[in-house]
Amino acid sequence: MNGQIGRREALARIGLGALSAGCLGRTRNIAGRDRASQLTLRIDAAPADRDPNGIRIAKHLAENLNAVGVDARINTLRETDLWRKVLINQDFDVYVGQFLELDPLNPDAMYAFTHSRFVTESGRQNPFGFTDITGVDEQLERQRRAEGDARADAVTDLQRSLCELQPFSVVAFPDPLTAVREERFTGWTNRRPVSPVGLLGLERAGTSDVATANDSTGGNATADDVETEDGGDTLRLVTTDANITENWNPIAAEYRRGGTFTALLYDQLALVDGDEVVPWLCSGWERGDGTVTVTLRDARWHDGEPVTAEDVAFTYEFLRDTSMGRLEAAVPTPRFRGRSSVVRSARVIDDATVELAVGDVNDAVAARALQVPILPEHVWSDRTEAATIAGFEFDVETTEAVVTNNEDPVGSGPIRFVEATAEESVTFERNLDHFLVGAGAVDGDAASDPAAGIPERFRGKPAFERLEIAVMPSDIAAVQAVGDGFADATVSNLGPDAVPRIGREADARLVTGEAGGFYHVGYNTRRTPLSNPRFRAVLASLVDKDALVDDAFDGYAEPAASPLATSPEWVPTDLSWDGRETDPVSPFVGDAGSLNVEGARERFRDAGYRFDDEGRLLSRGE
Amino acid sequence: MSWLPSVVGGVVVRVGGALLLAAAAIIGPDRLRGLRGEVAGRLWRSRRALAVLGVVLVASAVGRSSLQAVSGLWGLRLTGLIHAVEGEFVGWVQTTFATPELTAYFSWVYVYGYAFLLSFPFLAYLALPRTETLERLLVAYALNYAIGLVLYTVVFAYGPRNLNVATSLLFTHNPDFTALTSEINEATNVFPSLHTSLSVTVAAFAVLTREEYPRWTPVALWLSTSVVIATMYLGIHWLTDVVGGVALAFGCVYLSRRLVDGDGDASGETEESADGDAVAGDA
Repeated sequence: MNGQIGRREALARIGLGALSAGCLGRTRNIAGRDRASQLTLRIDAAPADRDPNGIRIAKHLAENLNAVGVDARINTLRETDLWRKVLINQDFDVYVGQFLELDPLNPDAMYAFTHSRFVTESGRQNPFGFTDITGVDEQLERQRRAEGDARADAVTDLQRSLCELQPFSVVAFPDPLTAVREERFTGWTNRRPVSPVGLLGLERAGTSDVATANDSTGGNATADDVETEDGGDTLRLVTTDANITENWNPIAAEYRRGGTFTALLYDQLALVDGDEVVPWLCSGWERGDGTVTVTLRDARWHDGEPVTAEDVAFTYEFLRDTSMGRLEAAVPTPRFRGRSSVVRSARVIDDATVELAVGDVNDAVAARALQVPILPEHVWSDRTEAATIAGFEFDVETTEAVVTNNEDPVGSGPIRFVEATAEESVTFERNLDHFLVGAGAVDGDAASDPAAGIPERFRGKPAFERLEIAVMPSDIAAVQAVGDGFADATVSNLGPDAVPRIGREADARLVTGEAGGFYHVGYNTRRTPLSNPRFRAVLASLVDKDALVDDAFDGYAEPAASPLATSPEWVPTDLSWDGRETDPVSPFVGDAGSLNVEGARERFRDAGYRFDDEGRLLSRGE
Repeated sequence: MSWLPSVVGGVVVRVGGALLLAAAAIIGPDRLRGLRGEVAGRLWRSRRALAVLGVVLVASAVGRSSLQAVSGLWGLRLTGLIHAVEGEFVGWVQTTFATPELTAYFSWVYVYGYAFLLSFPFLAYLALPRTETLERLLVAYALNYAIGLVLYTVVFAYGPRNLNVATSLLFTHNPDFTALTSEINEATNVFPSLHTSLSVTVAAFAVLTREEYPRWTPVALWLSTSVVIATMYLGIHWLTDVVGGVALAFGCVYLSRRLVDGDGDASGETEESADGDAVAGDA
């Protein structure tokens, strides 16, 4: 405090002092120093119409930051603009978002999120610019190779490192909530009702068992066509996220949230179903010495071309560098970066067999590498040149593949694209060539079964002929659309104002799943003072996760400290919230939602930060 | 699959009924009878003002979505600044005054009252023998929309409900209204409030024509004040948007009186249609 006043006096006398030559050097010594000014933080978040939960977290944090003397402002952006700013341009201070990889949360999901090898890349991978070479990087590599207890140890160390260094602060795991009406489709009781496996598992209402469902949907195509006219077998969903009506690029980071519908357009080699990984586009895989050998099913792209081992090999090389070596520097995929990084190279054995070199990773990580969308080479190999606007190269660091809207998507998945009106609606139809359609219930010999290894409840699916997704202006309107019978289910997140509404609608029902992607506050660690882990730790203690669970999620969420909190088998007791009153890592400085301002300032002072006499937190730089 | 047909039907029926009543009570049978033979001639005399408004409305309908994209990419992102300046004012309005009755009243005013408020003056001034007031009104509407569209492009800001400063009372109590409002409004078009500026424009004209229609003036003042309060009470607009809307309204009324002189001759209209074309060109 004294030093500061002294400097001010010196600066006040600057005119006098500068007059005498002897004082000139002293003036330079003092005036040449940049003065610290109030710290300004911009918190980027999607508006309430798009993400009713995230904005409440952002506001809570902004209020507490303002209370301790930081000039915090919320910057609301359209979701695509928000993610382009954060993930692609990395031009942000703090953002509030949801981790979009879903369960079972394999610890390897943290690989792309926090490994320092991705700091310069644009995309979902390491948006924080976070680097911890000897700690986090080493632990991430270790959990890829180690098995059993050794892997559990690595994962424990990893969580402790992430909790200590806080490149992001986990806030809570929301329960995925969906308003549904069950007149036409039933089976919404999946852990994640609106996920690829959730939608594929639906049954037509009135068909009590799987066998009848197969007969009625697979057996009489003409009757189905007639039904399509009156919409009886159309699954109608509503969302507040308009992206799927204008962009179908499975690797576009700024357009995809969970990527539910692109996952139905583009088959993966393997699919997560509950706690299992089941073979999907491949009929099975075998581990060799440092390899995974994959055998493809008989499948066709939506344009009639066969799916071949060449396509699979192309996909892995393409995800590593979407320019396929045509540009100076590689342009890696902005989504699926962690999974695709497992595969070092791919070798075609024959038309239906491909060998992936994965090194000595454990089986869990190898199976994860099979969970990327397989892309048709004959479509995507034309998208490897630098992205252009009207023929001009605009940005040589990206390729057409990354920025294309991928109109008329050609996948191999169980649904195919029909038509769309931007920002209003999109229609898909059932892909009758898909291996699920021909696969009856298991009977006879397994060798001739086109869907060997596929769980029973997906056989003969999907149960809908058409899938229509309409865009709604808000979560409340989406719930109302289900209540009024315009839609069968909501897709996007529901906020605390929308949830109670479901109970008031006679025909609508609330379906709660388990453990959605965790909401977190992400910090740009490239910028001071966010580069300082001590500073980030204090920011984390300004978030009252318990209060937010009630306020932002209407209780439908679990507060958490570890990003793996919903997979308790991985979480050490010192990081677990279970049986505790407060956050085990960054306890909130305050009580029941109200901040203890003096206590919070004390924590900033302990971390080496200063306040001016008006209580503003000072920071140099920026 | 939407509520749009029923909501639009509801607006047409209610506003149509209100217009009939108001025509009888405010315009009066004499002027209405005079309207019968004169309407074509008066519309013809106002053709340029009608054309200007038409051009602006078409340009706005056609260009809005592309201008929104431009705004999203390069517009000034002012949500945080507006919030920092006025804080929780709108939230305070809601928590202090909100009751179910008031919410019903303001939702009603925001949709039906507003539609009536904008359409009645057109009828009323058409019933006047001289067309200058009608032309001024049309030019003022056009200016409101044209300048509003430019400001919407320059300023990229979300309203208080999107920052969770306020609850979206309109949408919470009448989700079907969203079908209508989302057809007309973008969520990022909050500054200025066009509901405010057009309502205040009508109120200003009502005060200026109080000798012709003494009964209309208090009705217009009441309704426009209600609409202005509704924009904030319902959590749609910031106080800043409302202040901007009021300023825009007075500017437009002033300009419309300058542009359309007392003879009913719209001298400034060439300039005006050039402005409308420029907007269409941007689109």
